[in-house]
Amino acid sequence: MSSELLDVTGAVGNRFAASAAGSRPAGTTGVQIANVSKSFGADGARTLVLDDVSLSINAGEFVSVIGPSGCGKSTLLKVIAGLSEADEGTVTIDGKTVKSATKGKMIGLVPQSPALLPWRTVLDNVTLPITVNPKANAGRTLRDPKEILESFGLGHAINKYPSQLSGGMQQRAAIARAFVFDPSVLLMDEPFSALDEMNRDAQRLGLLDFWQTNRKTVLFVTHSVPEAIMLSDRIIVMAAHPGRIADVIDVNLPRPRDADVYATDEFRDLEGAVRSSLQSVMEKKYV
Amino acid sequence: MSNVHTVPRSTSQSVTESNAVQTRTRKGSGKPVAPRRGLQLKWSSWAPPAATFVIAAALWQALALSNPYVIPTIDAVWSSLAKEPMMYWANLLVTLQEVVIGAGAGILFGFLLAVIMAEFQIMERAVMPLIVVVMVTPVVAIAPALVVAFGFGMMPKYIVTALVVFFPMLVNSLAGLRDVDGKALDVMRTLHASRWEIFRDLRFPGCMPFVFAGLRIALPLAIVGAAVAEFVAAGQQAGLGSLVTIAAAQANLAVTWASIALLCLMGVTLVSILALVRKRVLWWSEDTTVAR
Repeated sequence: MSSELLDVTGAVGNRFAASAAGSRPAGTTGVQIANVSKSFGADGARTLVLDDVSLSINAGEFVSVIGPSGCGKSTLLKVIAGLSEADEGTVTIDGKTVKSATKGKMIGLVPQSPALLPWRTVLDNVTLPITVNPKANAGRTLRDPKEILESFGLGHAINKYPSQLSGGMQQRAAIARAFVFDPSVLLMDEPFSALDEMNRDAQRLGLLDFWQTNRKTVLFVTHSVPEAIMLSDRIIVMAAHPGRIADVIDVNLPRPRDADVYATDEFRDLEGAVRSSLQSVMEKKYV
Repeated sequence: MSNVHTVPRSTSQSVTESNAVQTRTRKGSGKPVAPRRGLQLKWSSWAPPAATFVIAAALWQALALSNPYVIPTIDAVWSSLAKEPMMYWANLLVTLQEVVIGAGAGILFGFLLAVIMAEFQIMERAVMPLIVVVMVTPVVAIAPALVVAFGFGMMPKYIVTALVVFFPMLVNSLAGLRDVDGKALDVMRTLHASRWEIFRDLRFPGCMPFVFAGLRIALPLAIVGAAVAEFVAAGQQAGLGSLVTIAAAQANLAVTWASIALLCLMGVTLVSILALVRKRVLWWSEDTTVAR
């Protein structure tokens, strides 16, 4: 694997990269992933899941990770979330180690399933991150759970229980739960994968809308090419066996974006580029 | 002997039936916040079990009339109950006390040990084998030994009842505490939630369906435990179990069966109360995930 592919930090032409690089020394804001390796299995038969992955996500940047099954994208997210420890390499979030970032409630996680607590109302579910680990609440701008639910179109449902909501609404509540305590970075693990395509599109546009007015650093794991293009500033294409970064594609579509972007030539060109990049990744796998 | 079981068996059937009705009404209302009580029951839900009861009673009566020295008639049992209600009441209270205190202690200890085992895996490895050894020992065999150790008072009865209840509570609670939503746990971990916070907000409420499934097994067992303890160690305290043994020894069929019927009634009442509480507490739980 060539080292140019790994070095995705520098050559990004978006405004966040420019502002972050200009005002602060590298490695103090956003998420810095440096030479992370991780393998699973017993000593004789270890599988390398992440092979020397380096990636830098600037503050306020939306980065998607896409790739075939087994490329380690979910493992990468788990390492950043502190749910899994890397064998080698370091991860820092706003200059802090993952451990101290978790202690300070700097990471918002949106898992694959909404994982709402069925015995709590939607409002109580979204309030949960504020009540848990209250020490870390000092000196941060917590959001009003009601307000955030309203901006996610759940204002009418705050006193309902998760079982009374549709899958899409549950997932929006889960996203609201991650935004509510003002984390430094949001990690989203295929949050819309369980929804049907129509619903999926509506949810992704909803997230896009909310994020464009509440910019946060986001690492978004997905299987969907249009989803990645629609939401992201940058798309990381990962390859499997071993899991590694194969390609980085800048998405220079102007913001704010909306559903009209789907119909533009730029979108189609990008879609072609991402698909061919994914294709080459998949082909290599089978050779 | 086969018709001896008829009464308890059909009773338990009716309890299951009424549970099914409650479930249906709750689903139909669609509002977990205030589940509508199933007041207006359809005849199709109560008529079949009622018919079963009537047929069972008729069969019983027929058998009793043709075997007067083996089975009492229903009216003989009823008149015995009507003649000495205070005697039965006093004995029922003794047994109920054993069940409430013994089962209460067993449930509490079972749950607490499950919490400790769930939080500290080493505890499970260390203690579980011993508990399994105790649990495979027949309670009927332990009871006389406990009488030797603790005398004829209430203590051996509490212990036997607690022992019987303890294991299903422990196993079910442990399964429930372990059965947390992994994704929800991930969310809590990234928030650096403390062990206590994870227990309070996730494990404790999440394990309740399993706890109630355990209670559903444990409460009827508690009555068995109390009755068995009384058989072995009648003592001065009496109770419905000892009433059964004493009356049976005197071939007093009416009193024997009246006591059995009261034990049965106690079981039905406890299980029905449990079903009501469960409906209140566990409205959020999917019915399919838990055996009642």
